[in-house]
Amino acid sequence: MTKNNDFALLGRAAAFAKPLPVGQLYFPSWDRYEAAMRGVFERRYYTNQGPLVQQLEERLQGYLGVKHAICVTNATIGLMMAAEALELSGKVLLPSFTFIASAQSLSWTGIEPVFCDVDPLTHQIDIDKLDALIDEHVTGIMGVNLWGSACDPVALEKYAQTRGLKLYFDSAHAFGCVVDKTKIANFGSIEVFSFHATKVLSATEGGCLCTNDEMLAARLRNIRSSYGAGKPVPVVKTSNGRMSEAQAAVALMSLDDFPQNQQKNETLFRLYEERLKHIPGIKLVKPAGVTFSNYQYVVCEIDKNIFGLSRDSLITVLKAENVNARRYFYPGTHRSIGYLNSLPDYNDYLPVTEHLCATCLQLPVGAMVDSNDVDVICEIIEKSYRYSQQLKSFFAGHDK
Amino acid sequence: MSEKNARKKQISDLTCFGGSQIFTEPKSTSNLVQPDFDSFLHYSKQFFDQHRYTNNGPLVKLLEKRLAEFHNAKFCITFCSGFWGLVLAMTSLALKGKVEIIMPSLTYRRMADVAAWAGLKPRFCEVEPNSLSMTAETVEPCINNETALILAVHPIVNCCDIEGIVSLGVEHSIPVLFDSVESVYESSSIGKVGKFGNAECFSMHASKLLNGFEGGYVTTNNEELAHRLALLRGFSFEGQDNCVIPGGLNAKLNEIHAAMALANLDEIDLQIANNRKRYRWYQAGLSGISGIRLLEFDESCSTSYKNIVVEFLDDWPLKRDETVLVLNAENILARAYYYPPLHHKNMSYPHIPVSLKTTDFLSCRFMLLPCGDFVSCGDIDKIIQLLGFIYSHGFEIANCIAETAVKIS
Repeated sequence: MTKNNDFALLGRAAAFAKPLPVGQLYFPSWDRYEAAMRGVFERRYYTNQGPLVQQLEERLQGYLGVKHAICVTNATIGLMMAAEALELSGKVLLPSFTFIASAQSLSWTGIEPVFCDVDPLTHQIDIDKLDALIDEHVTGIMGVNLWGSACDPVALEKYAQTRGLKLYFDSAHAFGCVVDKTKIANFGSIEVFSFHATKVLSATEGGCLCTNDEMLAARLRNIRSSYGAGKPVPVVKTSNGRMSEAQAAVALMSLDDFPQNQQKNETLFRLYEERLKHIPGIKLVKPAGVTFSNYQYVVCEIDKNIFGLSRDSLITVLKAENVNARRYFYPGTHRSIGYLNSLPDYNDYLPVTEHLCATCLQLPVGAMVDSNDVDVICEIIEKSYRYSQQLKSFFAGHDK
Repeated sequence: MSEKNARKKQISDLTCFGGSQIFTEPKSTSNLVQPDFDSFLHYSKQFFDQHRYTNNGPLVKLLEKRLAEFHNAKFCITFCSGFWGLVLAMTSLALKGKVEIIMPSLTYRRMADVAAWAGLKPRFCEVEPNSLSMTAETVEPCINNETALILAVHPIVNCCDIEGIVSLGVEHSIPVLFDSVESVYESSSIGKVGKFGNAECFSMHASKLLNGFEGGYVTTNNEELAHRLALLRGFSFEGQDNCVIPGGLNAKLNEIHAAMALANLDEIDLQIANNRKRYRWYQAGLSGISGIRLLEFDESCSTSYKNIVVEFLDDWPLKRDETVLVLNAENILARAYYYPPLHHKNMSYPHIPVSLKTTDFLSCRFMLLPCGDFVSCGDIDKIIQLLGFIYSHGFEIANCIAETAVKIS
């Protein structure tokens, strides 16, 4: 068996001097940050639907082609506000293969999440599996647009309409993505974007709710608390979901930079695609269901029988090299604390989700990554494949 | 121009009857204190250089350490707002299997909504008329088998009866959460606010003493609670993706907000000195006007001197709401303190309907006057001059309001 000790795991220096994160982490230059904050200080307007939040909402409306963009402090609170504004109750269907906040937002609004399986190729919700989950308590569907792909929102709209269900989207991953000629933001009753620092559009923390429905927009503004953004309409309860001027300042600069950041993501993605296609047992998940993607997630499936190492072992190899590859999503929302009581209901119901939770990993892309880094990462993966038997023995020894 | 407009000679000079405004810029009841810009930049540089914009970054950690020290509490956990800090403290502290939360009705207008997000049912208690705060005597009758938590709200001037309410909680084995959002700098005879009861919650909204754009924090001496709150605000993740308790969400404070709060915390004593100056100015000026009483700070302990609250006595010629209307028209953004009280609001979530006579009475008598960074002593002179004018022309103004049927919004 060929041996190679050229792994940080086996004692060599790590390939990267500092940990390479997976998140986007784009941020304006220091000079631009300073100038923007100086503006905020000069205006002495800090929060409560200030001039920058208003400007951001208008620009997002223009860019996304949607009537109302309502900026919020983060996407999770945004999803909670959406469930509240839609007056959902009972149960809501959503994929289990999503970030846990999708389900947590439902729990916070007193709704039971019911998990649906996903498509093995696209990782998006499998519409054909919805029927089996519907009962008289189900009031809505939360579609999730994952990875810079889309979950066939048009088909979901038709489905929800025929079943008399409300439909909204967790589009945390999908800013800027286009389905045919329509930007994501315009499907279902509400779409919720994340502007977390790890997303392609960053407000450090933040998010935005989009809707073309006047009444829903008015309700969302009141639930968020809006200080002058229209006359408050009755809602069950309000909250604090406000975005500050500091967050909006960063988001506005990030929106200016979106074209070049998207381009950088796409370039890096293509490089990964080119390099990884030669390595057996690793499959890069390509944008599906969209005509334009933000390419903000580089997600791969590892077939351990072909690759020779499990997903978790490969992550250990990469982490030793300071590549902070991440299991995503793990362990699957239906297997997470808070949802375990209904786990028995999902026996045999979520085979694709189970498979993906065991095989997917996320690789670095974004501000902190350049094409050389991608080369190095792909070399490590390639080497891991080539010397998988040696690494496997290492892990076996390690586990004893 | 403003000098001329400040002097109202006849009631037609009032803006609400066609005169010109005293202030071209609004004078609000929000603090809006701005720290030194370079200090804010200096803090910002730390997160910027580390590319850490959120997720328990370096400045959030530093701020939590500094605030815990400031309050003499063992632990401090920050949040994206005081609102969600309160919600998470409530869900964490409420006794399992019980549903009621005792809170005053004369308080923050969203407080019942906070309880509703926490899945609790508000039972409103009375307040004591001199201090405008709940006391052990007003809370005790509300305690029953369903009581899950006492929310001890400090009024915005001075403190509530900390010892009395804490002992009551201990006696009945009911946890006590302090709402100290306006009490960052306050002390009582038993020490600085921040370490009492099971936990205390503060706000860093721009209108508050410690401006962090938006934000909030909870202090506690209970390590388990602190750990729990730190988990809950970040999806209950321990490590990267290991969700360890139910009930998590995203309520993290970002690094820019932490930078702002740190810069303001450094200058807090300067701010208190400025507040004291404004307060003294109001104190001197208002003493010359009948029918209006300034709520005085208890200066035997440290206090923020921040909020200017006045009571309209029986000889004040206008209704409180009419006075607010006249002031607002002049760009003096005075506000009712508090109206409507919570027990009169429409609530479609579970709550206990009550009748609270003292609260009803008090809710029509108090008003907040402008304070904070935007208000100079010269501004205060103009405000006091106007109040004097309103007092001396009160009946004329009241008639005119009735005639022109100016709507109170």
